[in-house]
Amino acid sequence: MIPALVILSMLIFTLAEVLPGDVGRTVLGPYATPGQVAALDRSLGADQPLPLRYGEWLLGFVTGNWGQSLLLRTAVLPLVADRLFNSALLALLALGIVIPLAVGLGSLAGLRRDSAIDRGVSLVGLALTAVPEFVSGSLLLVGFAVSLRWFPVTSQLTPGTGPLGTLDRLVLPALPLVVVLFGYIARMARAGTAEVLETSYFRTAVLKRMPRRRVLFRHVMPNALLPTISVIGSQVGWLVGGLVVVESLFNYPGVGKLMVDSARGHDLPVLEASVLTVAGIYMLSNLAADIVVGAINPRVRNPR
Amino acid sequence: MTDPSKSDYARHLADELMAGRLGRREFIRKATLFGLSSSAAAALLVACGGGGNGSPSAATGARRGGTMRVATGTPTAALDPVTMYDSASIATVQQVAEYLIWVNNDLSLRPVLAESWASSNGGQTWTFTLRQGVNFQDGTPFTAKDVVTTFERLVSPNSGSAALSNLKGILSPGNVSSPSPGQVTFQLDRPFVDFPYMVSSTNYNAVILPASYLGAWEKKPVGTGPFTLSSYTTGQRATFSRNQSYWQTGLPYLEGVEIHYFATTQSQVLAMEGGAVDMMQLTFYEGAQPLFSKSGVRILSAKSSLYREFHMRVDAPPFTDKRVRQAVALTLNRDQIKTSLFGGRAQIGDDHAFAPVFPISPSLPLRKQDLQRARSLLHAAGHPNGVNVTLSLEDVGEIPQYAQLIQAMAKPAGIQIKLDVMPQATYYGSGSNQPWLEVPMGIVDWGARAVPSQVILPAYACGGIWNSSHWCDETFTNLARQLDATLDESLRRTIATQMATIQKDATPAVIAYWIEALRATSDRVGGVQADGTGFLDLTRATLS
Repeated sequence: MIPALVILSMLIFTLAEVLPGDVGRTVLGPYATPGQVAALDRSLGADQPLPLRYGEWLLGFVTGNWGQSLLLRTAVLPLVADRLFNSALLALLALGIVIPLAVGLGSLAGLRRDSAIDRGVSLVGLALTAVPEFVSGSLLLVGFAVSLRWFPVTSQLTPGTGPLGTLDRLVLPALPLVVVLFGYIARMARAGTAEVLETSYFRTAVLKRMPRRRVLFRHVMPNALLPTISVIGSQVGWLVGGLVVVESLFNYPGVGKLMVDSARGHDLPVLEASVLTVAGIYMLSNLAADIVVGAINPRVRNPR
Repeated sequence: MTDPSKSDYARHLADELMAGRLGRREFIRKATLFGLSSSAAAALLVACGGGGNGSPSAATGARRGGTMRVATGTPTAALDPVTMYDSASIATVQQVAEYLIWVNNDLSLRPVLAESWASSNGGQTWTFTLRQGVNFQDGTPFTAKDVVTTFERLVSPNSGSAALSNLKGILSPGNVSSPSPGQVTFQLDRPFVDFPYMVSSTNYNAVILPASYLGAWEKKPVGTGPFTLSSYTTGQRATFSRNQSYWQTGLPYLEGVEIHYFATTQSQVLAMEGGAVDMMQLTFYEGAQPLFSKSGVRILSAKSSLYREFHMRVDAPPFTDKRVRQAVALTLNRDQIKTSLFGGRAQIGDDHAFAPVFPISPSLPLRKQDLQRARSLLHAAGHPNGVNVTLSLEDVGEIPQYAQLIQAMAKPAGIQIKLDVMPQATYYGSGSNQPWLEVPMGIVDWGARAVPSQVILPAYACGGIWNSSHWCDETFTNLARQLDATLDESLRRTIATQMATIQKDATPAVIAYWIEALRATSDRVGGVQADGTGFLDLTRATLS
């Protein structure tokens, strides 16, 4: 995992170098003279050679000194940590809604293959996955926030917002994510369940007159959900770091938008910190999914 | 009015007004420019039989209290009055810090931290008398030293301020001094009749900061303004509370202000519709159409000098021949552009830099769409089969839609245009690569300015630092400098007409429209106007 992150950090530095624009120009604006911009770049150390800058940054980063944002003049660590926490909260809520919903309906669809429920879930799931987040988000906002006023229109988290207030603000941004993920997870659950129903051990369990519920929860679900768990693990990275559109639309202070703004503004300390933490979370969630799969599936633990 | 030159000048203005050579609006502007208070000017106007003007005063019985919630864009960097340039940062700083002078929408001047001013030496020396009894929000008194330090900081080469470019050729370092307490003198590089504008809100970095200010404004916000910054969350919101010891007694009416930062226009519009904010700082027709017909929402408007420069490089083929440039200008149906991009809320531009909002703006016969003439001009210039060109533009506001309209309108004349859209940061570029100054044909956004010079000199004069068309006409440039030094109104008009004629003939850039500044507010909001430069003045705002 560490080597992957190191290579990623180098890649980010090089890519930011290639991107047009520079931090001096972003801070001073279009009406500053090239001389003024160059002077600011010099004072921010942005004109030093790439390997030197990278080395300095790396040294600071690994010793816990994540530096100062070049654009925002504030410490990187609290900024990124705060945004990351917000994104994690949103991701948790989205997962908390979509997993029971999708796994429940998907498994049901798999158990009752070719029934109305099966067709309904597959069709609806497929259709919803195709709807982009800004479309579903806008519709939800216009419907629930503007017309019905059930939920707030913006999801900024001000200090002093209690847990209930936070939940209130998170529901609408979470729903577009549920919409996008539902189809994918439901179809994986359906396929997994349908596959297990074809196996011999399932037939044996049924023929053994095992109670239906025991069959379902002891034999079907654990095996059916293996691919679904892997899929969920792979989506966590996107849920935490990839929600630029949702964050912009709902004005939610997450880490996705922080990454895009720091990339555009060439704010390297913030860009590196946010990308590496999100990448770290992505890797950890995949690892966690693998562990869970291994816990459920002894064959993974003891390959023979 | 003890200053003899001032009363002479006031008499001169009165004469011009009575003779009909000076309009009422321009009378007020010139009077305030020369340091008469707006109430004295209004009195003079009434005495000359010109009728009252009704300058705003603190309304008695105005409803007090409430916290105004404003939607703005997001600041691009840390808050810093000296280097700020985006509208959200400017709006945030302007609640806390003030200028010597504020420019009204009709381009007249309102004294703020400067009470009066006068020029001598043919307009090359300016002396400002400062307001007494004003304190910064940290309790330190406001003195002339603060003004001197503020302006020396702005024109210092190390400041990084855009004000440096605004004041280039007008004020150099080491020329601001305080000859006596409460007075500041500016010694200019050349006579500049409109200098008070350069130390006003229109030079938006020129907020007066204490002499002891060393930087990091965001951490220790300071100013003399109506609100104090009580908390600031990067990228999310700024919260202000009423300055209880503000020098304008009885003001502000509001108890507090909250500026909410938004990433997109869409989320601002939704916030207005959902009642999460009481007003938007800036509203553009494109993207905010739902608000224009929504009940409970009022759209305030003000004419402004906000425009888009559609330039053609006079040193790049095929635009080296002015007939080709004129042909491009003649293909456009400006009324249609105005309706489709702004719902009609714009003023037609005539390919010269004198926005209609400037009082000396000449009215030449408007250039109308004429495809026949465009084709014959192209033919005469040696392009009987038309031309193929690339139009580079930034993805800002309505500019992409404008480019598409240009493309469609130019086609029948044989001008085939290929569009190259870039993000704003790429289009501005940096260092040796700044597309907006190099592409043969481009569209760029310009902020509103209070004075024609500020529009013309950087963009259209020889050696102008932001002259993307690379046009250099000696006569035009000399006239521009002459305009800056000329006081007499009718002479100024004559010069402006000459300049407009030259520029329109050469057409280094197509200027098809001047955008009206719009501001959407809810019905509960009072005491707020739209602002030609987009500035947010909540001193007299009320919330019912």
